[in-house]
Amino acid sequence: MAKRKTRRQQIVDLAVLAPLDWIDERTGAVRGTKWFLFRNVPRDVSWAQTLGFATLIAFLTQTLTGAILAMYYKPDPNSAYESIEHITNDLTLGWLVRGMHRWGASVFVILLFLHMGRVFLFGAYKYPRELQWITGVLLLATGMLMGFTGYLLPWDQTAYWATVVGINLNGTAPFAGPWLAQFLSSGPEIGGDTLAKWYALHMLLLPGAIFALIGVHLYLVTRLGVVSPPWSKEQAGRERPVAEPTGARAGLVRRGTEGGAK
Amino acid sequence: MARDRGEQNREWYATYKDDVKKEGKGFFPYAMLHDTIMGFVVVLVIIGLAIIWYWDADGVEPGVLGPLYTEPADPGTTDFVPRPDWYFYFLFYLLRIFEWPETVVIATVGIPTVLLILLLGLPFYDRSRERRPSRRPVAMIAAVLTVISMGVLTYKGATATEALGSELIVLVPEWAEEKGFADNDNAVEGARLFAVSGCLNCHIYLGSGVGALGAPDLSDVGDRYDQETLVRYLTNPAEFGNTVMGSYAYLGQENLNKLATFLDASTSDDG
Ligand code: HEC
Ligand code: HEM
Repeated sequence: MAKRKTRRQQIVDLAVLAPLDWIDERTGAVRGTKWFLFRNVPRDVSWAQTLGFATLIAFLTQTLTGAILAMYYKPDPNSAYESIEHITNDLTLGWLVRGMHRWGASVFVILLFLHMGRVFLFGAYKYPRELQWITGVLLLATGMLMGFTGYLLPWDQTAYWATVVGINLNGTAPFAGPWLAQFLSSGPEIGGDTLAKWYALHMLLLPGAIFALIGVHLYLVTRLGVVSPPWSKEQAGRERPVAEPTGARAGLVRRGTEGGAK
Repeated sequence: MARDRGEQNREWYATYKDDVKKEGKGFFPYAMLHDTIMGFVVVLVIIGLAIIWYWDADGVEPGVLGPLYTEPADPGTTDFVPRPDWYFYFLFYLLRIFEWPETVVIATVGIPTVLLILLLGLPFYDRSRERRPSRRPVAMIAAVLTVISMGVLTYKGATATEALGSELIVLVPEWAEEKGFADNDNAVEGARLFAVSGCLNCHIYLGSGVGALGAPDLSDVGDRYDQETLVRYLTNPAEFGNTVMGSYAYLGQENLNKLATFLDASTSDDG
């Protein structure tokens, strides 16, 4: 029979482990979290590989500040500008939330490019991470569209005229161009309908797509693992001088018996 | 005999997995610690930018990081220099390199599409296993060239000052001369409006424009309508059986008058 538990252990069991077990049995959430946290990464992983996480943090900052802005912003040509003034000048710390959202957008885009540059430099898009790269490129595109659609919302001169140009640019595309321009401006006039449409794109559709893509992206990186710096002497998966390990490690590495590989 | 690439890849990856398992460090807490520190840095930088932006600017008065907002949007303005967010500057500048209207589509659609396809396809055309930059000269040179050209285009786009109207506005004096309305201020204003309002996404005027969706050449439109009718036309094209073109009533009566004056002055007996 098992050793009798101390009182303390019993309390921990009852208050922490039992509920966790209950949840895990029904969702697998605890196993999932362990799978995410308690995995190994190559031992030479360092600061360069934090850029992806940094991008994630920038995006989450945007989500949070954006949600707060949405509580006070009015997507209507007659009141949008005033609501922006109100947020910036009257609300407690409104300027901070708006400033963080505005500058967070630029930081997000910069981090996207830096992260992509790191991945490119490390050759981390190669087998088996092709889809990881593709979800990344889609994130880059949707991320930039976030900027494009968000730019209109303050409804000031900069916003308005940049949007006019942006829509006209879309209009130059062959075949779909004029149609696309019509869709984006919702009629010939850049007005209430345009603003409502862009607001919906900016705070519903595009962020939804980004969340979904980030989900896939993070799942893949957890499943596949990150690569070592390619110049590292001790990189994971380095070629061994001899086909099979020798010395102390002899017999430890069983090639080709892991995972699905045969 | 060479093994097939798929098999080789699987073997390499199995070694990687094995190494990570045996020699790797825990994501938690080691990598996570770096990530957390980096996360704090990011948030602090964002807060820092917001603070600098707010303290140095005052309403529409710009500080080091620009104004808090510009004047309220006014569709009637004809001389505002449009400027997108900085990460679209490169596109913005490409527009100046390519000629409107013949080749502008290269800048607006061609180059971005090609870039996107090249990016998406990267893992499929660069299939070697080699990851060391020193052994990937083609990839590295391509990357450096891309970064330099993006940098230069972004810089040029940031410092370009002339009005955009997609370059069309610069044609206004030419039009005025050709059609002989240079002394008519209202017509010149109207021409500027015409240049920035996207009319040439469909129409053609003196060789500029697209000629899409069956929109006629407007160079001699003054032969066909008088000024008043033109105002009515622009206010409600549907009345004239035109369901493709939308109403331009939002430009305001004054601007519509100017536009119509310009169109009215565009007749075939030049000057
Ligand atoms: C979405 C494309 C589109 C845009 C943008 C557009 N138009 Fe049109 N326009 C048309 C089409 C198509 C016709 C022809 C309709 C017909 O023949 O029934 C037309 C006809 C006209 C006519 C009558 C021409 C004639 O000879 O009968 C005028 C005048 C005109 N447009 C002016 C303008 C002005 C000014 C603007 C910009 C403020 C503009 N249009 C923007 C598509 C467009
Ligand atoms: C919202 C945007 C993004 C988020 C939140 C994100 C997040 C992450 C995270 C957390 C990692 C783990 C390793 C690291 O931090 O470097 C990662 C890896 C990776 N990312 Fe992203 N990423 C984003 C955009 C992109 C983009 C734009 C690309 C490329 C086009 C990309 C391609 C990759 C690849 C290939 C890996 C695997 C790297 C490796 O194995 O070393 N990601 N991403």
